[in-house]
Amino acid sequence: MADEEDETGYDEEMDDGSGGVDCGHGKRKRLFSKELRCMMYGFGDDQNPYTESVDILEDLVIEFVTEMTHKAMSIGRQGRVQVEDIVFLIRKDPRKFARVKDLLTMNEELKRARKAFDEANYGS
Amino acid sequence: MADPARIKPEALSERITSCKEEDDKSDETEDGPSTSKAADENKHSSSQDQSNQDVKSEMAAGEDEEEGESSSKRPKVEPEKKKKCQKVDEDEIQKMQVLVSSFSEEQLNRYEMYRRSAFPKAAIKRLIQSITGSSVSQNVVIAMSGISKVFAGEIVEEALDVCEKWGETPPLQPKHMREAVRRLKTRDQIPNTKFKKITFN
Repeated sequence: MADEEDETGYDEEMDDGSGGVDCGHGKRKRLFSKELRCMMYGFGDDQNPYTESVDILEDLVIEFVTEMTHKAMSIGRQGRVQVEDIVFLIRKDPRKFARVKDLLTMNEELKRARKAFDEANYGS
Repeated sequence: MADPARIKPEALSERITSCKEEDDKSDETEDGPSTSKAADENKHSSSQDQSNQDVKSEMAAGEDEEEGESSSKRPKVEPEKKKKCQKVDEDEIQKMQVLVSSFSEEQLNRYEMYRRSAFPKAAIKRLIQSITGSSVSQNVVIAMSGISKVFAGEIVEEALDVCEKWGETPPLQPKHMREAVRRLKTRDQIPNTKFKKITFN
């Protein structure tokens, strides 16, 4: 049943401290602890979020990135991850789609601005 | 944690206008807002001055373009659209300025954390490359870290809803997070390719 399947996923996350029988996510070093704490505070949590909550969130984010990468590898050009694939996968979710568009356009603008600035510097 | 540096309202409103353009840059130049906050602030303000000039020169260039187009008698739809888009942006920027200038100190802190926090690009790149086995472009890393931040935000917001609904207070506990994930899963906002859903058994 769906509940059981969900629970096996969460059991992996709960075994972090012991790292005993199921070493799925447990043994990996914490990649985003510091940044996730600041992020959780920014999104509305307490100034000092619980470590367990931060751990759960990190596992979720890593799983999200993994899923997106696998999906992106299976569409478009096989075996490679390209921006168009990510944009395609995100098309149904309005928030993420808008955010990706914003980030990419801003990146282009910044690149252009930096290039123009460097050229102006170089010229003068 | 060290006390974050105080930000004056005028400097902050300046930051907002350039911050929108600067989001990527600040994400690149900062590795962790908790340590060496003052150093980051200095770096940010010096790079902000440079990008401020860039932004101003870009806006001036945009305005020059508009005048050129109207004088050459091209169809006036394009410059009007540009003006409308710019106007909408400017309205929104103004509204944001008014809003942020009326924040309390705690709200300012939180807003600063919200804008500045980001996933380290190196770690995300390493993670993606360990899955694909081949290198990925920088745009992919930028897009992925941006989406991950939105994803984390969705979970935290849902967990705060759950926490409030259950009549408890932050900080968030793992049970709130798990309930939030369960709710998002039913809304299909969490991708899951591991377990297939069987509708009729």
